[in-house]
Amino acid sequence: MTEIAGIGTYLPAWGTATVRQTGDDEDAVTLAVAAGRAARTAAGPDVAVSSVVLVSRDLPLIEGGNAAPVLAGLDLDEHIHVREVIGGSAAALDEVAAAGPGTLVIGADAAGAAGASAVLCGGTGRTVTVTGRVVRSLPVTTRDQHGNTTDYADPRLLRERGVGESLARLGNPAAAAVAGLAGRDAAALCGGPAPVLPTTGASATGFAIAALAVRAGSVIAVDHATVTVAELSGPPPPVVRDEPEPQPRPAGTLAPGASVSISLSAYERAFDAKVRLAAGRCAACGSLSLPPRRRCIDCGSEAPADLAPLPRDATIYSLATIHVPVPGLVSPYTIVIAELGDTGVRTIAKLTGAPPGSVAIGDRGTLVLRLVAVRQGVPDYGYGFLPVHRGARGVAA
Amino acid sequence: MVGAGMTQFGELFHLGIKDMLPMAVSEAVASVDKGLDRTDIQAAWFGELVTTDGFATGILADTCGLLDIPVSRLENACATGNDAVRHGTMAIASGMYDVVLVVGADKVRETSSRTTFWDWMGMTRDAAWDFPLGLVAPANFALHAARYLYESPHATREHLAMVAVKNHHHGVTNPKAQMRFEITVEQVLAAPMVVEPFGLFDCTPQSDGAAAVVLVAEELADRYTDRPVWVRGTGLGLDRVMHQHKRDMTSFPPTIKAAKQAYAMADIGPADVDVAEVHDCFTGVELINYEDLGFCEKWGAAKLIESCDTYVGGRIPVNPSGGLKAKGHPPGATGVAQCVEIFEQLRGESTNQVDGARIGLTHNIGGPTAVSAITILGTDKG
Repeated sequence: MTEIAGIGTYLPAWGTATVRQTGDDEDAVTLAVAAGRAARTAAGPDVAVSSVVLVSRDLPLIEGGNAAPVLAGLDLDEHIHVREVIGGSAAALDEVAAAGPGTLVIGADAAGAAGASAVLCGGTGRTVTVTGRVVRSLPVTTRDQHGNTTDYADPRLLRERGVGESLARLGNPAAAAVAGLAGRDAAALCGGPAPVLPTTGASATGFAIAALAVRAGSVIAVDHATVTVAELSGPPPPVVRDEPEPQPRPAGTLAPGASVSISLSAYERAFDAKVRLAAGRCAACGSLSLPPRRRCIDCGSEAPADLAPLPRDATIYSLATIHVPVPGLVSPYTIVIAELGDTGVRTIAKLTGAPPGSVAIGDRGTLVLRLVAVRQGVPDYGYGFLPVHRGARGVAA
Repeated sequence: MVGAGMTQFGELFHLGIKDMLPMAVSEAVASVDKGLDRTDIQAAWFGELVTTDGFATGILADTCGLLDIPVSRLENACATGNDAVRHGTMAIASGMYDVVLVVGADKVRETSSRTTFWDWMGMTRDAAWDFPLGLVAPANFALHAARYLYESPHATREHLAMVAVKNHHHGVTNPKAQMRFEITVEQVLAAPMVVEPFGLFDCTPQSDGAAAVVLVAEELADRYTDRPVWVRGTGLGLDRVMHQHKRDMTSFPPTIKAAKQAYAMADIGPADVDVAEVHDCFTGVELINYEDLGFCEKWGAAKLIESCDTYVGGRIPVNPSGGLKAKGHPPGATGVAQCVEIFEQLRGESTNQVDGARIGLTHNIGGPTAVSAITILGTDKG
């Protein structure tokens, strides 16, 4: 049994009311961070995070390296344990049900219908208890280590001998929500109106738990023929939804060209300040520099500086929208110089979550973790500018 | 300065750097009124932004018959040309050399036009912090122009367009110019957008070219000419490298610093300048230059271009050669070629002559808008 302290959800800005898609600057890590931050907001500052579980089938770095940007993006200490689990909604429900207080379980889906959800465990009284589990194999869709997918394309087989047989073995439990199945199949299992969830992968579990926040009931989570059933009971937990209104993804053009090269030495030196959005704070005069620098930009002191987190509310000082093709990038795109809070610190960032050219000097927004580029296979994380008012002045792409 | 010459600027697909260098140097040598024996040249400086065909100084020495003198290569972003002239001047002023050759060249169109902006960007960006953003060269300047247009009580995109119209008009009479045709404000505004607020006609073309000047010590000048052009002042200014650290993006502090040095050295002020060749890689940059160089007050640039006072015949003609906009912009050559134009202006030999010009100024701004170099030339020693 697990208690839930808060739930956070995130949907990308692009797509339709039923299916969202990631922007070019999003992947499972940035989605996970967005949902995780929402869950931390929901749970409030008193609930500390002591470990993180990331459940996804779309992890960007199979050889390792996803955990650090997740911690950095969540403002979590680098000593915290992160477990990466390859799985879908049943795996995510198992992780939530097994999690102890202080564990943040995040499900992230970047491929297909995109979204992320996070459950921060702790004590509000809302409990999750597994009441049944069947682990069986019927791999009607596959994805190999190179990302190649195949589809057996037999939905009746999956319904009858996969999900149906597994639920029969569990005595056909009643469900208030079903994660991992498309809307009609989910409704059929619920025997009536069921919450329509925006995803069917690992994040669907968190969306289902969020959908049942104000009432109790059972959640069935399905990965092919593997099924986990859990009972939700107790008072409703707080939910924070970062789910902007969907808008069509801008039709940018990817210019052909070689992959942008990366210096991993420079990547490593910049990582903490860049992915945590932290400035160097001069030990002598306290002035902030982004990026951090050896010699203070104001007083010239070369005393060792420490890192100080920067505010994320930002105002555009100037901007440029690039229309010409740039090799390896999708044009058009907008770059802004933005002032952070009242620190006087400025940063330079790409516009995210709004069409290129849709912002103006003086517009306000928030800095959010995004994929700045993928360079020689390395996801290069940094911060994008997400305007408060989105899409009001979009240009034709 | 006793000699000056340059190649045609343009997409010189038929010429390599090993062709352009001897062409420019030979024209500069040939322009010396009383003749210059190439063996008189004691040292050379070569301004080149991007290495083409290999080892730069060796190529200059090898292709121009200068194998027995020291040659140094200088690179200072788009300020390379005027900084090379500054180094040649210092070499003479130090007393170490009496006859110095200064050459600038770049072979931009040796690679696909699609990759040029990207190639240049790699030279001006921090590897971790802003390189992956795609902050291409026009965006460097667009970030300034956007803020300038936002703050200026007068300037609009039409004023940017007027700069392009003027410089194209000036370029028509220049046989060395890359773009010798008139355009209208309407054409500029209707052109495809490159990086807002710059459309296609707000941007310099991509150019190949080379330029050279010959500098000699004051005592030797009359051995070569009876009408030398005097280097009256030089200056070079820098600024914070990253755009997020430039507090006021409506001006270019490097220009202000370089101008202060050069005006002081020449013991003149902006009002004394009769003709100027300034860095107009993008139209909005020329407007900001007017203010930074002191040709008008802050926010006065829009009215200055509106009044036609920067046309030849106006109060302070700017870019009679057509500027980078119409003449072309092979970065290493650009500043040296500006000096070639002013050399001709001060000797009354320009194809777009400013009547009675006695003092001329050349100006580059470059890198991530973080370096400016300025040269002031005069008919009188001062």
